[in-house]
Amino acid sequence: MNRNPTAFLKEEYDELVKNDFDWKLRILETGSTPHSVVDGKEVIMLCSNNYLNLSNHPRLVQGAIDAAKKYGAGSGSVRAIAGTLDIHMEVERRLAKFKRTESSLIYQTGFAANAGLIPQLVGKGDVIISDELNHGSIIDWVRLTKADRAVFKHKDMGELEKVLIDADKKYNKILIITDGVFSMDGDIAPMDNIVELANEYGAMTYADDAHGEGVIGPDGRGIGAHFGIEGKIDVEMGTFSKAFGVVGGLIAGSQDLVNYAYNKSRTWLLSGSHPPAVAGAQIAAIDVLETEPEHVRNLWDNTKYFKKELESMGFDTGNSDTPITPVIVGESSKAKELSNRLYAEGVFALPIVFPMVARDKARIRTMMNAGLTKEDLNVALEKFEKLGKKLVII
Amino acid sequence: MVSKIGLIVNPIAGMGGKVGLKGTDGVVEKAIKLGAKPIASQKTVEMLKEFLTNDSKNDDLQWFTSKGDMGGRELKNAGIKEIEIIYEPSGKNTTYEDTKKACKKFLELDIDLLVFCGGDGTARDIFEIVDKKIPILGIPSGVKMHSAVFGINVSATAKMLHEFTEGTLTIGDADIMDLDEDRYRRGEWNIRLFGVAKGIVEPTYIQVGKTCFESVSDDVIKDELTEHIVDEIEQNNNFLYLFGSGGTIDYIATKMNIKNTLLGIDAVHKKKLIGKDLNEEKILKLLKKYPTVKVILSPIGAQGFILGRGNLQLSPAVIKKIGVDNIIVISTPSKLMHTPVIRVDTGDKKLDQMFAEMEFMIVVIGYRLSRVVKIQTNNF
Ligand SMILES: Cc1ncc(COP(=O)(O)O)c(C=O)c1O
Repeated sequence: MNRNPTAFLKEEYDELVKNDFDWKLRILETGSTPHSVVDGKEVIMLCSNNYLNLSNHPRLVQGAIDAAKKYGAGSGSVRAIAGTLDIHMEVERRLAKFKRTESSLIYQTGFAANAGLIPQLVGKGDVIISDELNHGSIIDWVRLTKADRAVFKHKDMGELEKVLIDADKKYNKILIITDGVFSMDGDIAPMDNIVELANEYGAMTYADDAHGEGVIGPDGRGIGAHFGIEGKIDVEMGTFSKAFGVVGGLIAGSQDLVNYAYNKSRTWLLSGSHPPAVAGAQIAAIDVLETEPEHVRNLWDNTKYFKKELESMGFDTGNSDTPITPVIVGESSKAKELSNRLYAEGVFALPIVFPMVARDKARIRTMMNAGLTKEDLNVALEKFEKLGKKLVII
Repeated sequence: MVSKIGLIVNPIAGMGGKVGLKGTDGVVEKAIKLGAKPIASQKTVEMLKEFLTNDSKNDDLQWFTSKGDMGGRELKNAGIKEIEIIYEPSGKNTTYEDTKKACKKFLELDIDLLVFCGGDGTARDIFEIVDKKIPILGIPSGVKMHSAVFGINVSATAKMLHEFTEGTLTIGDADIMDLDEDRYRRGEWNIRLFGVAKGIVEPTYIQVGKTCFESVSDDVIKDELTEHIVDEIEQNNNFLYLFGSGGTIDYIATKMNIKNTLLGIDAVHKKKLIGKDLNEEKILKLLKKYPTVKVILSPIGAQGFILGRGNLQLSPAVIKKIGVDNIIVISTPSKLMHTPVIRVDTGDKKLDQMFAEMEFMIVVIGYRLSRVVKIQTNNF
C-alpha cells in the first residue's frame, strides 16, 4: 500500500498549533530561582514547583557534587541488577525516618512510581475508587489496570462511602486513590476521613502527595504528618522533583509494601537508577528539611501574605489550603491575556483554562516560593492589581 | 464551522399556561378567549438579541426561516437583516402542519442547526420530520418542557447557541418527551419517551497532553459502554438481560447486532434477542423461565427517570422479582452532566421506599467506569 507512514506527525502537530493547543516551551537561562530569566526576560517566578527554593540550596548542590565525585556520573544499571549503590539505600533509610514510616522506596520519578505501582495493586475483580479531580499521572495508570473504576465527587466523603458500600459487596480488593494536595486548586484531601472509611470497609489507601511533600505537615513531612496519621496511609506517594528541589519519585509505607513494590514495579525493575548526584542531593534535601525549619516557615508566611493581599484587592482565590493559589478570572481568553501581560511586566505565572477547569473558572495558577522576599511579592501584587483592574477582573 | 441556522417559532406556544390550560394542543381558541397572549415571539427576540451581543462572528451565519410570526418577524426585530424565507404559511392562524412543512424545507436545505421556540409539542412535531438529521435547540416557551433539547431559560439558550457556533459545544442525543394531553388536562401526569433527537451537549473531554484535552464524541463513549455491557453479559452467561429504552441502550443493542426496539423493553439471552417490545405479562413469563435476570436502564436526559416514565411494563411486580441490585444504570457522562438525580416512580410505595433507602445509584459512565448519583423518589 502506498502510504506516508509519518505524515500524521506533521498533520497532528499542525492541528494542535492551529487550535493553539500546542505546548510552547519556555526556556530558562538561569536555574529555577525566585528571579529567573525566562525566554531572555527576568521575571519573578510564580509557577515553579520549587516551593522551598531548595534546588539552589548550597547543601544540595554540594551533596550532588560530593556524590558525583565519589561514585561517578551514572549508576551503571537498573536497581534490580547492579544499579543499587549504598547511597540509594541511604536515601530510603533517611526518607522512611523523615516520613515516620516503616520503610520507603525511591523511583526515577513520581510518574514512574504511579506507573509502576498502581497497576500492581489491583487487577480483575478489584476496584479503584478515585477522586474526580485526581492528577493525570494517576488517571493514566488507573485506566491501565484491569480493575473497575468508580469516581466520586471531589472530596465528597458521603459519595465515597456510598461507593465503598457498593464495592464491599462486589469486589475483592478495594483501592482508594487520591491526590494529597490537588494540583489545580491547592486544596487538601481529607485523608483522616478517607483512612477511617477505608478501615471500615477494608479498603487500601493511596495518596499522591506530589504537591504536599515538603510543604504540608510539621517540617513539611507531607499529608500523613499533616493529619497526624503517619504510617496509616497504605501508600504515601510523593516526589523529590517539587519542594525537595531535586528529582525522583517516592513511596513510604510498610516494609511489606516496599518488598512487594520493588519486586513488582516494572518501572523500577526495568529502568536505570538515579545517578549518584541525584541521590546525594536527595539526602541533602532531607538534611535541610530536618535542620532548617525556616524554609517551610518562609513558604507559608509568603503564601499567607500573598493570598491575603490578593483577596483584599478583590481577587477570587478559590479554596486553596496550600501555597498553590489560583487567581480565578473567569473566561479562558482573559486568563491567557492576564498571564501574557504579567509576563510582559516581569511576573511569570501560567494560565489554566477550560477544560482543565470549568469554563467560567479559568485562572492564573500561582505557586509560592520560599525564596521570594516581601519586596518581590509587593512588586508581583502591584502588577496583579494594576492588570486586574485593567482587565476588569477586580 | 456552523453556518446554516434555521428558526421556527410556534407563535401560540405557552399560551395555555397563563390561563390555566396545560398546553395549547387543540385548545388555542379556548386559550385566546380566556385572554392568553402570545409570548413565543418575545422570547425568541430576546434570545436572538442576547445571542448577538456575544457573537462576534454572526456574519458567518446564514439564517433561514418562515414568513411572519413563524420566525421572519422575530429575526428582523432582533436586528438580523440577512435572512432567507423558505416557507410561507397559508392561513393566518398557523398550526403544527406549518411547523412540519417548514421542517421539510429545512431538511432539503441541509441546515446545521434548527432553533425553535415552543414546548414539548413543538419539539415532537419537529422531531417527527427532521428525526436525527438536524440537531435542534429549543427556546423554552411552552407549558411543558420535559424534552432535553431546551435551554433552561432564554439566556442559557443564547449561550448554548453561541458556544455551539464557536465549536465548544457539540452534537449528542437529546430525549424527546411526550405526554398525553387529554390525560394531563384531567390531572394525570405522565410523560414518556417519544424518541431520541440530536441536540446540543457538552462534550466529554479526555486529557491527552498535560494541558491538552481532546473532546470525544458521544459515539466513542457509547462504544465504551457497549464494551462494558458485552463484558458484563459474557461474565454472566446464564443471565437474562432486559434492555430498556432510549438512545444509549439502542446504540449498544445495534452495535451488538440485536434488533431491539428504541422505546420498548427487549429481552436478550447469551447476546441473542429472545423477546421484543415485551409487555408486563410477557416479561413475568420470562422471569419464571430465567431465575437470574438483570435489567439495563438509561435515565431519561435531564429528567433522570429510570422507572415510571414510559416503561410501565417494568411494573413493581417485575422489579421486585428481578431485585433492585440487578438494575444496571448506564449513561454517557454528557447526559449525566445535565441529569443531576436518578428518579424512580414505580407507583408502588414500598418499592419506591426501597429505592429511597438506597439513596444512590451506581451509574456506569464508561468501560468499567462508574460514579454515584443520588436517587429521588418523591417526584411531585
Ligand atoms: C499530583 C502529581 N503526581 C505526580 C507527579 C509526577 O511527579 P514527577 O515530576 O516526580 O514525575 C506530579 C507532577 O507534575 C503531580 O503533580
